[in-house]
Amino acid sequence: MSTQQMKGPVNAAMMAGMAALVIGGGLALVNLMSSGHAAFNTGSSGITWGLPVVGYVFFVLTSTGLTFVASLAMVFGIKEFYPIAKRCIWLALVTLVAGFTCLALELGHPFRMLWAIPTSFQYLSPLNWMGLFYAAYMVLLLLKFQKVNGGDWDSSGSRTLGIASFVSVVIAHGTLGGVFGAMAMRPMWYGPIIPLYFLLTAAVSGAAFAVLITYLTYGNESFMPAKVKNLMKGAMPKVFAAVLGIVILAVVSRTMIGLWSNADGLQVWDHVVASPWYWIELILMVAAFFMLLNGGSPFFPSIMVIISLFIGRYEFLISGQAVPLFKGTWVTGLIDYMPSVTEWMIVLLAVGIVLAGWAFGEKSLNLAAEPAEK
Amino acid sequence: MARWGMVIDLDKCTGCQACSTACQMENNRLPGENYQDVLYYTEGKQPTPVLKWFPRPCMHCEEPSCMHVCPTKATFKTEDGVVLIDWNKCIGCKYCMIACPYGVRFYTDEKPLVEPNIKDVYPGEGDLSWNPPYKGPQQDNAHGVGIQPHGVVSKCTFCYHKISKAPKGIADLSNDDAANREFVPACVRTCAPTARYFGDLDNPKSNVSRLISDKRGVRLLDHTGNKPQVYYLSGGAGPAVPSGRGGANKA
Ligand code: SF4
Ligand code: SF4
Repeated sequence: MSTQQMKGPVNAAMMAGMAALVIGGGLALVNLMSSGHAAFNTGSSGITWGLPVVGYVFFVLTSTGLTFVASLAMVFGIKEFYPIAKRCIWLALVTLVAGFTCLALELGHPFRMLWAIPTSFQYLSPLNWMGLFYAAYMVLLLLKFQKVNGGDWDSSGSRTLGIASFVSVVIAHGTLGGVFGAMAMRPMWYGPIIPLYFLLTAAVSGAAFAVLITYLTYGNESFMPAKVKNLMKGAMPKVFAAVLGIVILAVVSRTMIGLWSNADGLQVWDHVVASPWYWIELILMVAAFFMLLNGGSPFFPSIMVIISLFIGRYEFLISGQAVPLFKGTWVTGLIDYMPSVTEWMIVLLAVGIVLAGWAFGEKSLNLAAEPAEK
Repeated sequence: MARWGMVIDLDKCTGCQACSTACQMENNRLPGENYQDVLYYTEGKQPTPVLKWFPRPCMHCEEPSCMHVCPTKATFKTEDGVVLIDWNKCIGCKYCMIACPYGVRFYTDEKPLVEPNIKDVYPGEGDLSWNPPYKGPQQDNAHGVGIQPHGVVSKCTFCYHKISKAPKGIADLSNDDAANREFVPACVRTCAPTARYFGDLDNPKSNVSRLISDKRGVRLLDHTGNKPQVYYLSGGAGPAVPSGRGGANKA
């Protein structure tokens, strides 16, 4: 498979990615060096986990979803997905790095974390397990990519690595869901179904990114190899639509329960549905769903879903903290929050990592490779 | 071993904020990051809204959710029942701030609530977030006592630098006991109407145990299961524990 087939804007993505890396990374670092986390608009009387954590959740769940897509071929043996499997693994790695970068810049002591979490091993903390399993997932994913990159798709070692990375990420995203789902004092997040909700939204996120990147790689359908085109016209949009449909139901049902319940803390749902962003999120999802059902190109639906998911992650993270906890007159209503420039720059940096990382892979790692026909 | 706890009599509390001020001086805290605060809030709607106040330290919970979520065990409970933070281990993930149902934890690398930022006037040396002209207790990072370093979370320590020096086996730490007055937490020490009591909850003869049983002490948001070691007395003469956690409560 040669790179000549790729007519997509890979070079442009590389340039844009580098620009985002330099601008986002540069500004974020300068601001963080000069004022520390005071460059964020988060606060002890305000929102504790701000936009960088939104970015973290968005990107690591995207990574999770991309591994799901790759696993359709490599774990579940659905051969149609092989032509995009290697690209999905690479992108899963890249989005994971982007997510971890957001998190590292949000922590007070990222380097201390490297020894303090493993040596303490607080088994009660969902965060401990999340760290453990996402770290394991990263290592397994790297090893799996290395195998595939060396042309070893099917040896028992390679298959085991594929299965192990799939299992580790299912657990990892579940523990991330637990970080929120276990919080009875934050009713908007609370509930045993949150890990499952993360699983579904991660899957949609992965499907959307897989489609988007495939189209960006080839430019348009006419440049796609037959197998890729068949996938983008056949199985991919069907899987995408099916999971998206369930996600829409999940979003609507969370909204209904949230609006209906009187539990203290859920009053924030009135505020959520009063915001145009909620409706943009919902309309984009529903419209994308019907576009996929109508059998058109999944390209635009993928972009719509990615935007919608980002809004959804923001809404989940920020609204979940918007009802203040005993702040008296320091905070009289719901907590107001607008991310600062530094916070946005961290997300831009993460976007830069994804774009440049993907373009690098496309240019140098032959991401279109697939196992030889038997 | 004692299990330290506090009793706050809401019928006696006048909302004067002397406790908050004493705590601020003792622990070098600034507005918006008060370990101890008296919260003002309104309950009820027109035509019968009532202005109320509510003194709120860290509850030093029996089952502290802040400790359970802490991935580094930086938040821990001492043998004598006090929840503390080891600033040498805290990574500033702020999960504890998410998980505390009472909003009593502070990450101070943030925009100040009150301008101008006094911390800029007295910039800290090394890792410390500022260097106030008057410093309270000795710096003890392993127990989260002293000036807060950058990148970590802080909270009320029950004035651990004082109470940990009290004679073993003592039932109560109170102003009435002249010999041990130095060991009384700053908020209790300064409370003019004596609305605050501090003592050993496990000692049935302590004044705090007696008050809790005689006057039916209640705990804030008991349904969270955190089981605070701070009890409130409310005889119904006006003040009461709030019905919700503040903000836009549902009617
Ligand atoms: S009140 Fe909050 S910070 Fe204090 S012990 Fe309980 S959960 Fe932890
Ligand atoms: S911020 Fe510090 S004390 Fe709080 S959970 Fe994280 S490591 Fe523990």
